[in-house]
Amino acid sequence: MPHDDRRRRFELLALPHLDAAYNLARWLAGNTTDAEDVVQDAYLRAFRYFDAFQGGNFRVWLLTIVRNAFMTWVKENRSSRMTFVPATPAAETADNEEIMWGSRPRDPEALLLESIDSQTLSRLMEQLPAEYREVLLLREVEDLAYKEIAEVTGVPMGTVMSRLSRARLSLRKLWLAQAETENAHGV
Amino acid sequence: MECDRAVALLPRLIDDALWPFTRLRMNRHVAGCAACAGKLEELRAMQAAIRTNLPYHRAPPGLAARIGAALPREMAPRPLRPWFRMPAFGMAGTGLAGALAGVALTVLVLGGQPGMQSDVMQEVIGSHIRSLQADHLIDVQTSDQHTVKPWLSARLDVSPQVVELKDAGFPLVGGRMDYVDGHPAAVVVYRHAKHVINLFAWASSGKADATFHTEAQQGFNIVTWRHDGITYYAVSDVEADQLSEFAHLVAQGG
Repeated sequence: MPHDDRRRRFELLALPHLDAAYNLARWLAGNTTDAEDVVQDAYLRAFRYFDAFQGGNFRVWLLTIVRNAFMTWVKENRSSRMTFVPATPAAETADNEEIMWGSRPRDPEALLLESIDSQTLSRLMEQLPAEYREVLLLREVEDLAYKEIAEVTGVPMGTVMSRLSRARLSLRKLWLAQAETENAHGV
Repeated sequence: MECDRAVALLPRLIDDALWPFTRLRMNRHVAGCAACAGKLEELRAMQAAIRTNLPYHRAPPGLAARIGAALPREMAPRPLRPWFRMPAFGMAGTGLAGALAGVALTVLVLGGQPGMQSDVMQEVIGSHIRSLQADHLIDVQTSDQHTVKPWLSARLDVSPQVVELKDAGFPLVGGRMDYVDGHPAAVVVYRHAKHVINLFAWASSGKADATFHTEAQQGFNIVTWRHDGITYYAVSDVEADQLSEFAHLVAQGG
């Protein structure tokens, strides 16, 4: 029963990662229906290419496929979900960090970020460009190493690091703006 | 270390991705630089916020079923109660964590070590875990041993012990077909209080009998033995002593 065996091995490996696959797809696609389509497509692809799995971290392999399935979905649906940040030369240079940080707020407001509620955090994450959102998810939620993130996203490790750094600073900026608005409205 | 260099390395510090020497230098710099220390604190706060407060979207219950239905037909020559059909599959993470949190694992395999190969063990445990995620990993649901036994016998080349142990606190729930180590296997399902016990049995003709062996793995207790050319694996998160008692009762025929 080679088919059964193959299917069984696939089940044993893929089963525990459905939530991880779905969570990534859901954050990328932005809604449940599309996320389900993406994950379904990814699992079918994974099953089809299962023999190509060379061992190693199956979750990383699967998330790579989820990511590819999402990119295909973006193309086929002409979705603007994968909005890339304009890579201006200035934004790509490392010494831009200081500018990204900006001046430190006078009050220790920024540190309140730790107590941000999940609804607000979700909203801010949604405002981030997809590639920033993606790199933050892979790093903080999936707890992947830079090298693994590079594998999933198909970019060099150096790009992962600068992207992650900019993603964090962008999120911080959004949060500060949000906090300011709240204060202005006396919330 | 200069500040601009340190600022660029802050993310790698919180991601634990610096060589020890660089980390040491960074820590030294941050200790003496309020500006960098503030940034580090903010980055850590943000990391903590995402890790604890960002909603985690679990797969919806119906998704596994949809995937199962979409898998190419020829890949599934037999309806093997695929996990795709399990409605609770979306709860995999939770169920698994709960199941694993449950216990110490102990396997009882005696003497002849009837195939305690770790891959077989993994398959058995994996099947057990899946059966916990869906309440219906049972092909024939009955508390009547006279129904379960013929049902299994008709489908397998073995006729495993199916005994009624309700009075001993192990009511029979049903049975199902499974696949372990490349062979068809019978699974007789029992309960003990809130716990599920999956009793796997498959033919291993020509092999000598083996007495009980107990082992704990991944939070489950496992008791194995071999009798009359049939290998048995009892898997559960019930306590080792009780599972051992269960195993003895089954082996004695009730």
